[in-house]
Amino acid sequence: MIVIEQSLRRRLLLWLAAVTLVFGVALLIEAYVSARRAADRTFDGLLDSASLTIGEAIQWQDGKPLVAMPSAALQILATPSQERVFYALFGANGETVTANAALPISDAMRRAAHAGPVYADITHDSVRLRIEGREIDSAGWETREPVQIWVAHTRGGREALIRALMERAALRFIVMALLAAALVWLAVRTSLAPLERIRQLLRARTPDDLRPLAVSVPLELKELVIALDQLLERQRASHDRLMRFIADASHQLKTPLAGLQSTSELALRSTDAADWHQALVEVNHGARRSARLAQQLLSLARLDHRHDEAFVVLDLVTLARARLIDWIGRAASQAHDLGFDGPNQPVMVRAIAWQLEEFLNNALDNALRYTPPDSAITVGVVTTAQQVTLFVEDDGAGVDEALLPRLAMPFERAGRQDTTGSGLGLAIAASVATHHNAELAITRAGVGGLRVALHFKRERLL
Amino acid sequence: MKATLLGLWLMWLSAHACAATTLVINAALDRDVVAPLLDAFSHANPDIELIYHDGSTLEVERQLQAGTRQSADIVLSSAMPWQLAAVNANRAQALDIPEAAEWPAWAKWRDEVFGFTFEPIVIAYRLELAHAMRPPETHRDVLALLHAHRTLLRGRVTTYSPERSGVGYTLFQQDARYSPRFWDLVAALGAADVSLEATSRNMLEGLSAGRYWLGYNLLGSYALVWAREHPDIIVQVPSDYSLVLMRMAFVTRDAPHPEAARRFMAFLLGHAGQHVMAGQTPLFSVRPDVTGPYTAQRLRDQVGDHLYPIPIDASLLAFVDPLRRDAFMARWLRELKILDDGTTTQ
Repeated sequence: MIVIEQSLRRRLLLWLAAVTLVFGVALLIEAYVSARRAADRTFDGLLDSASLTIGEAIQWQDGKPLVAMPSAALQILATPSQERVFYALFGANGETVTANAALPISDAMRRAAHAGPVYADITHDSVRLRIEGREIDSAGWETREPVQIWVAHTRGGREALIRALMERAALRFIVMALLAAALVWLAVRTSLAPLERIRQLLRARTPDDLRPLAVSVPLELKELVIALDQLLERQRASHDRLMRFIADASHQLKTPLAGLQSTSELALRSTDAADWHQALVEVNHGARRSARLAQQLLSLARLDHRHDEAFVVLDLVTLARARLIDWIGRAASQAHDLGFDGPNQPVMVRAIAWQLEEFLNNALDNALRYTPPDSAITVGVVTTAQQVTLFVEDDGAGVDEALLPRLAMPFERAGRQDTTGSGLGLAIAASVATHHNAELAITRAGVGGLRVALHFKRERLL
Repeated sequence: MKATLLGLWLMWLSAHACAATTLVINAALDRDVVAPLLDAFSHANPDIELIYHDGSTLEVERQLQAGTRQSADIVLSSAMPWQLAAVNANRAQALDIPEAAEWPAWAKWRDEVFGFTFEPIVIAYRLELAHAMRPPETHRDVLALLHAHRTLLRGRVTTYSPERSGVGYTLFQQDARYSPRFWDLVAALGAADVSLEATSRNMLEGLSAGRYWLGYNLLGSYALVWAREHPDIIVQVPSDYSLVLMRMAFVTRDAPHPEAARRFMAFLLGHAGQHVMAGQTPLFSVRPDVTGPYTAQRLRDQVGDHLYPIPIDASLLAFVDPLRRDAFMARWLRELKILDDGTTTQ
């Protein structure tokens, strides 16, 4: 089932938006701090010029500082942004020499100005001001005393400069964010183009066209295309196998049916009741063979097409015993010696019961068919640390070692055409093994015959 | 108490009967000079009752600071440094009307205070002076005349008192900035026993009465009108440099009637008010798009490009610095008497 998640484009754009927001806020804060610093640096220079110009104008007369307040100083202080300007001059003992406002200058600020120029933000008359104080050593004829010059102005020009710098920073950032969004959109578009090519290729395929895909893709999609090709390859293999199986099955069915046809035709030409009886026996035999073949084909199809059956925990010993008892009661096994070899306590595995039963049925059927009478046939369960084994073995003639690997293929009888077997028994066993993720081992038995075993891995048991 | 309440109630009633609001103007500007302007405003805005307080420039400033006067909406004054100091001290509010935004940048500060007149500073003399000597055309000529005709001119020269007139003080400060020879002129004035007057009108009246022959640093706005009615007075715009004084107006920060104040400023700075100023008062309109006999543009055409408006910027604040003012006044008094010894022995 296909679950549609959010569109890739939208997800990428959302991520971009989140990152942009976080970085944007950080960038704007940084821009504000540096804009403020730049504005203060620029305008503090004007405060310097103004206070130095006033310092130039200080003269001493009769032991008192005399200042002809220079117009230029005030004009510098006002700056082109027409700030409101304030100044205050203090003598050595803190007395006011001249001032145009009672500025809130603390003692700490005055002490600091003693060491060097001081810059500060103050509030005067509910207006924020930038103030600078510096001490000037000046000498007159009678006195040699320092004078403190404090100059201040409103922050209009600074704020305007900060605003202008911030606006530029914000604009740059917005343009960048928009460009990034457009780039992401384009990138997603171009990177999804190969997927679109693959989609169109797959759509255009006819149902039986299972060749590998011929398409150029970026590195990141290589794995996907390889996986698709492998899937197609498996499909083709399984398709081929199925076609071969159908051909083989038809061929196998054809033989007994042809026998039936010729037998019945011969009987029809005869008028002897004995011949009829003989023909009926042969017809009965052939029909049974055909029925059995059809039965096995059916169970193979059942094994191949039911993938959703639930595994249950069952006792292997009980199951094997029950099968064995069932087979001992049948007419076909009267000439053989059937026995059980296994532990007395239960051996639990997760499995599908009817499949294991089918395995035992086919293995036993094979053993009965391909061994001479009086052969011993053993059904057994062996447990070791790593695995649990369910096996059927006989002490018959066995099979040539070289032919063993081919036994599990359908319609393979290891060169023996003398029996009435269908050649499907071990194919069914192989299918059961695959379903249980178990290993099918067809070997020579220690007692000389064939041993067909299912090895269950321990970790699958419960 | 009851009578007062009743009186207040009656006043309130009468105020509301004829005018929706009042507007208080504190001005250092003779009422008869600005009467056409105020009449035009009242005519255009019948719902505003004008209360107009008049006083000398320094008086307006003193009352403003003391707060003895009814809180004004608008302050008009020609004492430029004090007006600027008031604005600098956060006593004005910014005006956000189109007329203020369009006003020329050199005639305003911070969009709070506006120079709305353009008045040249002139020399005025009697016809007798022209008969006795070559009449002065420049500041240098005035100094030369005072030196050459000291005896003849003694007691017949007048100018502003920098102590009693804010305009006079501003003009002398500005003169002193332009030339160090200004102090020679002060010394020469002192030697001629100069009479110091508080207003241009007093100087003009003295000239007409024959008490004075020569007046220095008169407001051209008054002098030009006076000379038209008194043919024996001649007005000379100095041809080396001529200072230009601008009366300045601002709306107070805590104006009780801000809306009326805004309307008055819009009228004052707008075409209508400036048109009245250019045609019916000698205050000279600043706006270049206004025509009439009294406009800055026309004055420039007549006397050339040596008009130097006193700049409306922070440099004016230096003039009101008490230390600088004291130093200036001390030097003024010293220079005024510096030649005294010489003259008494003569």
